[in-house]
Amino acid sequence: MLGTLLSILILGAMISAVYALIAIGFTMIFGVGGVLNLAHGALIMLGAFAYLGLTSTGGMLSLPPLVGFVIAVAVSAAASYAMYAGLVQFIEENVVITFLATVVVALLATELVTFWFGTDPYQLVPLVAGSIHLETVGTRVRYMELLGFVISWIAIGLLWYYVTQTDEGRSILATSMSERGAQLTGVDLDFVKSRTWLIAGAFAGIAGVFLGSLLSTYPEMWLNPLAIAFIIVVIGGIGSIKGSVVAAYLIGYLETVTIQFLGSSFQGIFSLVVLVVVLLVLPQGLYGREFVHE
Amino acid sequence: MSSETDRSTGSTRVLGDTWRSVDDGLRSVGNRINPVFQPLADGYNRLFGAYFGEMNGLQFLLIFGSLLGLLTAPFWGTFSLIQTMTIACIWAVFAMSWDIQSGYTGYISFGHSVLSGVAAYATAMLVYNVDPEMSMAITIPLSILAALAVGMLIALPTLRLSGPYFSLITFVAVLIFYRMIRPFSEYTGGETGIQTVSVFTYDPLVRYYYMLIPMLVVAVALTFVARSNIGLVLMAIRENESAVNAAGLDATKFKLWSFVLSSIPMGIGGVLLVHYYGSVDPTTFVVVDNSIEMIAMAVLGGMSSILGPLGGAFLFVMLEDFLLEGLPASARWTILWTIILLVLVFARDGLFRKLWHALERYGRRGETR
Repeated sequence: MLGTLLSILILGAMISAVYALIAIGFTMIFGVGGVLNLAHGALIMLGAFAYLGLTSTGGMLSLPPLVGFVIAVAVSAAASYAMYAGLVQFIEENVVITFLATVVVALLATELVTFWFGTDPYQLVPLVAGSIHLETVGTRVRYMELLGFVISWIAIGLLWYYVTQTDEGRSILATSMSERGAQLTGVDLDFVKSRTWLIAGAFAGIAGVFLGSLLSTYPEMWLNPLAIAFIIVVIGGIGSIKGSVVAAYLIGYLETVTIQFLGSSFQGIFSLVVLVVVLLVLPQGLYGREFVHE
Repeated sequence: MSSETDRSTGSTRVLGDTWRSVDDGLRSVGNRINPVFQPLADGYNRLFGAYFGEMNGLQFLLIFGSLLGLLTAPFWGTFSLIQTMTIACIWAVFAMSWDIQSGYTGYISFGHSVLSGVAAYATAMLVYNVDPEMSMAITIPLSILAALAVGMLIALPTLRLSGPYFSLITFVAVLIFYRMIRPFSEYTGGETGIQTVSVFTYDPLVRYYYMLIPMLVVAVALTFVARSNIGLVLMAIRENESAVNAAGLDATKFKLWSFVLSSIPMGIGGVLLVHYYGSVDPTTFVVVDNSIEMIAMAVLGGMSSILGPLGGAFLFVMLEDFLLEGLPASARWTILWTIILLVLVFARDGLFRKLWHALERYGRRGETR
């Protein structure tokens, strides 16, 4: 029994770390631009496939995994920025149109990837191979899972430092509190939004590589993580980074417990129940609009 | 248009001139055709104008020409065209139902495939689990009621919230419903679904009318609602919800009504679809792609116009199943999504609304720039 608990504790922490990365990017873009970016899922997939294309042993390039990882994250970030600069920027004044356009972009990207790679799942070359067997717990932890946890917290830590300690980062926070207020104090909105999309893209790329390695890589791999990210973001409060991290661990553990005791077919159902309860009790989520003064 | 061409460079001026001559040509054609149908349109306007909106001769020609075309399709269409149009009728029901809720109120639902899926599954599960001989007179109303009940289940907690929460939760609802099918596979048939549902008929021509008539009824009913005060309030919710509340109308109640109005035709569409295939399974009935396709159809035709989504559905299904039929699936969808994206960015009012307004302009007499 103790072993099961410990293994839930460890596995839950791993998957929650990846969920947190996805949810943060999604919530930041909503915070600064009011854009619900469904193409965020496509960026996860793009990260995983970029890594696959760069490192797979059978492909044209077989770069060392670490180099492939860095480039894949850069590709996701660049794609995210391109989406803002090339599309969203021009239509963002209409929320509904923007929302629908990002959905269509996500599907378009999925079809393009299907066209190149087919629908069969791929196995990624792990960044670090091997696993460690915890005797006392009786569970096996892959190094990749540990690395995902560590990198997730490094990324979150860096982001936290950036948005609270540097002027550039604080302007992002300011914009998500009040766009007009930020503009009046001399914040360059366009620059803020570009950076936000870049950061969100990079986070999605990291999450993509880890999801692709821990689970598997196929064109529709983004659908379930994105749905979970939605639940997390709504529970944490749309626009709140802190809320996303807290809710990511809440939902991550809930999912792990559900899978452990009830099987994977019930995955998501309890999260939805929690979601409905949170919505009824706290319509703004746990930390929704924490900085906003109306 | 003209002020833009004055400022622009040579090449666009040539383009502008070409456009203007085409425009003038269309206008003279329009001016010649319009008076022929104007008396008919006037008659229509006197009788129904107050309920469905007025139209000019050209618009009358478009609407009743299409109606005639749809009704007589088996006499002039090829076999595969009729097949495609049969499917298009069902999707038109979905697109229009989506439109009365999401297009009009601006609360974009990604969960509409749950509603049609519930209706289809209700029919199939009644036949499969309760009584294989159960008549359609019982299963159909029960299935539509099931769609309505699930619609309320989704709408009641979510529509109290404003803003983006609604869209996110409806999106999640589809995935949850999809996942629930497998744990209860004893009743739902799991991944493979249930194959024992009867079809309306095996004659493809008769089947076409089985789909067309309900579609037309739904179209007329929803247009009537959308053109009434209810439609007006729903649109006001999209534009400014607090103004609706300030005017003493309960916006939440109207949003719920819009969901009711949407759930019932979604249920009808789901029933049509299950009796079309004679089976249900999660991938053709529930997946979130279905919801997004409905939205794409509505966007293509023009959101919040009911008849726009109808046209959009036909255009979309025609493109998918008829015109691009030879291409591999992923290439076909790439082309389709690119078209939708272009319409979203450059013609966000939708193609059929553009056509409608163009007809109005061209029908106007003696107007020159």
